Amino acid sequence: MGAIITLSLLGILVLYLGLYKAKNALLPVTLVGLVVAIGFEIAAWDKGATPVYHGMVVFDNLALSFSILCIVITGLILLLSKEYFRAISSNVAEYYTLMLFSLTGALLVSSYHNFAMLFVGIEVMSVTLYILVGIRKSDFNSNEAALKYFLMGAFSTGFLLFGITLLYGATGTFDITGVKAYVIDNPHTISPLFYGGILLLLVGLCFKIGAAPFHFWTPDVYDGAPILITSYMSTVVKVASFAGFLRLFSYVFVPLHDYWTPVLLTIVVITLFMGNISALMQTSFKRMLAYSSIAHAGYMLFAIVAIGADSASGIFTYSIAYSLASVIAFGGLILVKRAHGSDQFIAFNELGKTNPLLAITITIAMLSLAGIPLTAGFIGKFMMFNTVMQDYQITLLVLAAINAAIGVFYYLRVVVHMYFKSADEGAIEVSMPLNFKIVLIIATVVTLLIGLYPDCILGIL
Amino acid sequence: MSIFYFVAFLSIFFALMTIFAKNPVHSVLYLVITFFTFTVHYILLNAQFLAVVNFIVYMGAIMVLFLFVLMLLNLNKESEPMKSNLVKIMGAIAGMSLLATLLGAFRVLEINNDYVTGNTDVGLVENLGKVLFDEFLLPFELSSLLLLTAMIGAVLLAKKETKESNG
Repeated sequence: MGAIITLSLLGILVLYLGLYKAKNALLPVTLVGLVVAIGFEIAAWDKGATPVYHGMVVFDNLALSFSILCIVITGLILLLSKEYFRAISSNVAEYYTLMLFSLTGALLVSSYHNFAMLFVGIEVMSVTLYILVGIRKSDFNSNEAALKYFLMGAFSTGFLLFGITLLYGATGTFDITGVKAYVIDNPHTISPLFYGGILLLLVGLCFKIGAAPFHFWTPDVYDGAPILITSYMSTVVKVASFAGFLRLFSYVFVPLHDYWTPVLLTIVVITLFMGNISALMQTSFKRMLAYSSIAHAGYMLFAIVAIGADSASGIFTYSIAYSLASVIAFGGLILVKRAHGSDQFIAFNELGKTNPLLAITITIAMLSLAGIPLTAGFIGKFMMFNTVMQDYQITLLVLAAINAAIGVFYYLRVVVHMYFKSADEGAIEVSMPLNFKIVLIIATVVTLLIGLYPDCILGIL
Repeated sequence: MSIFYFVAFLSIFFALMTIFAKNPVHSVLYLVITFFTFTVHYILLNAQFLAVVNFIVYMGAIMVLFLFVLMLLNLNKESEPMKSNLVKIMGAIAGMSLLATLLGAFRVLEINNDYVTGNTDVGLVENLGKVLFDEFLLPFELSSLLLLTAMIGAVLLAKKETKESNG
């Protein structure tokens, strides 16, 4: 709870700093606040998993670990933002505030114990994003993305709410322990409303994580939003939504496993193929990452299809690997776009010669996203495939292996462009400011560290 | 009970009229009437607070806003996007499937559910306040974050920007 209060107050403090024109203090104050929030989270570790505040929130290790991950990734992204927001507009403080509020929402989603909190958390998280996506007011793509995201997001919230309502109609409670007790007490007389509620909740949540067939907003929104916001959306928001998803299905709906597994299995297969095959056909690096994030949502759903004891640590590992690699990829894209003015693959030509450090970090990120051994991505994929294997879902495993192969192809295309293609109009020097160097190197080192010594992460959950 | 059936019939009738009306302004006006029938439903359910809020916020504020936006947009036949028949058929089938699923679920419901007939005074302002400021205090407080966010966003997006460049 300390972390949530800290972040809320921090947001307001940053807003006041903006009011008094303390522009240079914004980033340091925000980062210090994030460190304090992480301190609160670590202090609450292993302190017990009893819900607090009338059963509204629970700070078990699952919630805390995902919260810490969200805060760290936000910190990395904010470090990249030093000059970025200032180039877009003069109201920098508001952007920091909005991101901090969005992070608060993410923390709520990963630690809810009552559907009311889930709803408030998801709304706080998304409403800030509707605004942040559209902050580039003169850019037509940004406007379109914001409007599309807003309309689709509001619509999907309707599904989520209706699902929660139906569950309430069946059980008479919003508390997830109460809902679980209902499922266990009435194994044969579960109200039909409950099943409808599960389906609608599934639709709402799949929308938030961007799984097919509810993914139509993802490419346009990720493509139209400013790159830094895209990196925030595709990492923190996705990770938090998965934490919420996992808590709901691993805690409440497990006894009805046979009912929702076929539905989820279909969603996973569609998501994998849709994401990977569309990513294969892109010529823009940003759009490719958008489609690949759909595919990654599919892989992460594996742990929920084959829900078990390892699911939490599987999703956690995969989230870390995917988030770090995404931060590197988007950070690199910001630099390349700043130098070339384009986010196409061709803009990466000869990057291996002009800026070897950037090229090597992007290469490692791509290898991690593709799931090549010795990177964190491999460990994540291994955990996912392992959970499915224990459940004997052989067909899914074969389909996933095919998709992983497709993934390797398009991720390596960037690497080929960086090292083996020559730029037509001469190579342009891509400069790399110090803050980018720090973030990319930290992310790369952690990616390799988890790849070489996975026990440091697997032991946590 | 007969009042309920009458109001329910009116709700469905005006909801359908909202969809089928050709003129967007008429459509919004039908939507206003639909919301009004909802208000009557809430009163029948003894949920007075909800009825008042629905009346003021939805019927009053939001619908008037809608009407203004429609007038400003200046919609006419030429600017209307054309949907292909395939999309219409797909939409109809998908919507009907959802309707069939939900109706199937509602059909087998027991009407005398405890949560439906249990405490009929739950919709009164006093009881609502007791729940809101006791059990649901945390979500209530955190909703303020949501409202603050929306406010910042509205100001941020509406304010005129002095500096613009492609970052």
